[in-house]
Amino acid sequence: MHWPFPHLSDQVSLPLPQLRLGKLDKPDRTCKPAALKTFGSTLTRAFSGTLVTVLALGALAGCSSSDETPSSITVYSGRSEELIGPLLEKFTEETGIEVEVRYADSPDLALLLNEEGDKTPADVFISASPGAMGYLDGNKLLKELPESILDQVPARFSAPDGTWVGISGRIRTLVYNKNEVKTGELPQSVFDLTDAKYKGKVGIAPTNSSFVDFVTAMREIEGDARTQKWLDGMKANGVKTYADNTSIVQAINRGEVTFGLVNHYYNEIAKAADPNVVSENFIFPNRDVGALILVTAAAVMSASDEVDPSEQLIDFLLTKESQTFLADDEFEYPLAAGVKPPLNLTPLDEIEAPTAKLSSLGDELADTKLMIQKSGLEG
Amino acid sequence: MATIEILRTNSDPPTPKRKWAKPSRAPRGLEIIGIVIAAMFAAPLVYLIARNFAAPNELLSAVTSSQVGAPLVRTLLLASSVMVACALLGTAMAWLTTRTDIYGRRALAVVAALPLVLPSFVAALAFVGTFSSGGLLEETFGIDTGVRVQGFWAAFTVLTLISYPYVYLPVAARLIGLPRSLEESASSLGRHPLAVFRTVVFPQITGAILAGSMLVFLYVVSEFGAVSLLQYDTLTRRIYASRLLDPNAAMAMSLVLAVVAITVVVVERIATKRRHVIESPGTQGAPKRVLLGHWRIASTCFGWGLVGLALFVPVAVVTHWAWLGLTGTRNVLGRGMDIGRLVQPTINTALLGVGAAVVAIIVVLPVAYLTARYRSRVGGFANALVVGGFALPGLVIALALVGASLRIPFLDHLYQTFPLLIFAYVVHFGAQAMRSAQVSVEAVPRHLRDAARSLGAGRVRRFRTVELPLMAPALAAGCGLVLLSVMKELPATLLLAPIGVDTLAIRIWSASSEGFYAQAGLASVMLVALAAALTWLLTIRHMERL
Repeated sequence: MHWPFPHLSDQVSLPLPQLRLGKLDKPDRTCKPAALKTFGSTLTRAFSGTLVTVLALGALAGCSSSDETPSSITVYSGRSEELIGPLLEKFTEETGIEVEVRYADSPDLALLLNEEGDKTPADVFISASPGAMGYLDGNKLLKELPESILDQVPARFSAPDGTWVGISGRIRTLVYNKNEVKTGELPQSVFDLTDAKYKGKVGIAPTNSSFVDFVTAMREIEGDARTQKWLDGMKANGVKTYADNTSIVQAINRGEVTFGLVNHYYNEIAKAADPNVVSENFIFPNRDVGALILVTAAAVMSASDEVDPSEQLIDFLLTKESQTFLADDEFEYPLAAGVKPPLNLTPLDEIEAPTAKLSSLGDELADTKLMIQKSGLEG
Repeated sequence: MATIEILRTNSDPPTPKRKWAKPSRAPRGLEIIGIVIAAMFAAPLVYLIARNFAAPNELLSAVTSSQVGAPLVRTLLLASSVMVACALLGTAMAWLTTRTDIYGRRALAVVAALPLVLPSFVAALAFVGTFSSGGLLEETFGIDTGVRVQGFWAAFTVLTLISYPYVYLPVAARLIGLPRSLEESASSLGRHPLAVFRTVVFPQITGAILAGSMLVFLYVVSEFGAVSLLQYDTLTRRIYASRLLDPNAAMAMSLVLAVVAITVVVVERIATKRRHVIESPGTQGAPKRVLLGHWRIASTCFGWGLVGLALFVPVAVVTHWAWLGLTGTRNVLGRGMDIGRLVQPTINTALLGVGAAVVAIIVVLPVAYLTARYRSRVGGFANALVVGGFALPGLVIALALVGASLRIPFLDHLYQTFPLLIFAYVVHFGAQAMRSAQVSVEAVPRHLRDAARSLGAGRVRRFRTVELPLMAPALAAGCGLVLLSVMKELPATLLLAPIGVDTLAIRIWSASSEGFYAQAGLASVMLVALAAALTWLLTIRHMERL
């Protein structure tokens, strides 16, 4: 038991059902001799006892720990609770497997998982960026997934070594001000944006992980020389930089810029919030690298001792119901075969999107970063 | 605190000539406690170095190769200019709310502290959304500002507005504790209020101003949310950008920040050394208020205008977001809009904030005694380590604690539990409690302590009945600073909170990172309301003897 306030659990009986202390129900993985453990918990008790008296955290500590469930898994999620939470709740409803989730930015969670190593409480990692997955894969922290899972998704959306699988996709789009630009006059390639007529009119988020992933894909498809030339050209053309995709969509609606490079659903969310927004999505045609598909990926940690329920969860995320939910409620592209894309967005197989080897995005991120820095876009 | 007066019963030093002079030796028991505390605060730093660098030259080459130069200069430039601005604004605000007849003084005293609770990214988003060309200001009033809220001036403005309370709270606490007699005699001799302030009050509050300014400086050095959104390329922004791509460079850059912090601490200690400190006289009547006369309106405009800009503008923007969500047409925005979902995060935020604030004060108080009452090397060393933790980005401290706690036997049982999370907060924000605690210890009159001892009061009783009541205002100010900082803390909370435990800051971050501004708005409004209630309960109520 890792219960931090053992002596309190019978004294304080404030039921706070939403509150779960993750490690309670987990079996002890450290396997210490019993005597050591007793001493350890005595220390813990002494320490936390003092703390509790001071803190009056009794209310927090008072939640019940007795409801034993068949099994329980821990998920670290780089997708926010707003997007993935409802699906995880549904999984628990259907299977009885408790899911406990830690939400944070994907790169931070990747660093945390790396720091925890084989002591990680996490069984499943859900990453918003392939880069973070690549980092963990490179450090040999991910477990290979079974064929039955990998087969459900086209091979181009999974790791070649089978350590992670794509759950849903976001497509890189050109978002533009529809009052200022007619559909016929839109640029047909992301490379057109270095033309003089777009001078000072385009917004990008150069430090955002989706932009970094996009540039890495561009390097793979178009080569380093052309990519560097494009980055330098964008800088020379007075491109305006923002912290993230949302800021770009807001800037377009304020009239600060006319075009922006974002992921498709940021504009869909803006439209849902206010149907009168002037921003509109455009997907670059002709297999342009500007229409890259980025995946949200899921993997099982190699340190997990709950492999079966973990794989069940990933399987569940790929069911028709889950994929439909991701499409209809989150505006994401479903990746498992046979589910329609959201709203009236073009189906995946009709978009001639480039198929960058997403798995290698992890290894090459550092070089991409250097190239972006070299162009002066980050400053 | 029982050890404070240890070893002093038999061999009291001869009564010093000046009553504020420090005795030369600290009690040994207190020094041992100081060493333990120093070790606690040193743990993350030591772990950082040991884990990432096998040899010193590795560390050195990581620092030199990671192009620290230009971003470091920008960091220092931003931190010093924000510091100066906050020192001016915070001091003015503290004087207005404690010494004048400004309109709405009591309310202003509470709300003036609140901008500190705004997560910097919320404040930045609000300012971009309001003042940018085409923003809310233009939408609502048709005023086109024609500016792009970005770069140095944007970062300077936003950070100044949310961090002046670092100066305001300690200075206000000091002003309240200051004896009225001096000011009263000075003004009864016909001095102009401003002259009284300059010649009598100001020398007594410089310590508090310096303390607060140092906190501002260190906060800006470690700040990430606002500089990232406002595109000002500081060292923290570089640390975040390279954290996954080149972790060694990120760690090396973090250590540079720690060095900056420790330098600042040393400079500040030297600057405040051997000041003539007038001690608190204990209970006293209400202070004589300066009647502002025809300046009353202007001063009121300034005070409320500053709070308006720093607090009401961001709150108005987040309320606007919440309103858009409540009236929105799509269910995706409606989800999670119910306030019921915010109840548990609100409780957690309050308990964590109050818990960390109280623990922080208790932990730093022995060090405050060592540095403020005794001339102790241990104290100086512990003080530098405590304050240094404030300049490290929260993410770096969190990761260091993850690694350290999982590798130290027994401690791994505390991993991702409340005690470890509180510990992380204390390591990160202890500096904020520290300076207030030092100011409070300095303010206890020696003659009162001596009188209590000669009447036979034991150490504990002296501490409880004589010292603590006199230190209360400044300690409350320190508590308030830690409380507000913890309430908005993100990186350590995300990584170290017991799994499934939500705070309001997490809710705001989670919703706004996906563009669900309605939910972010509602949670932000809740955070500010909670901060107002707690700041009043924990801090202002104890500071103001109104």
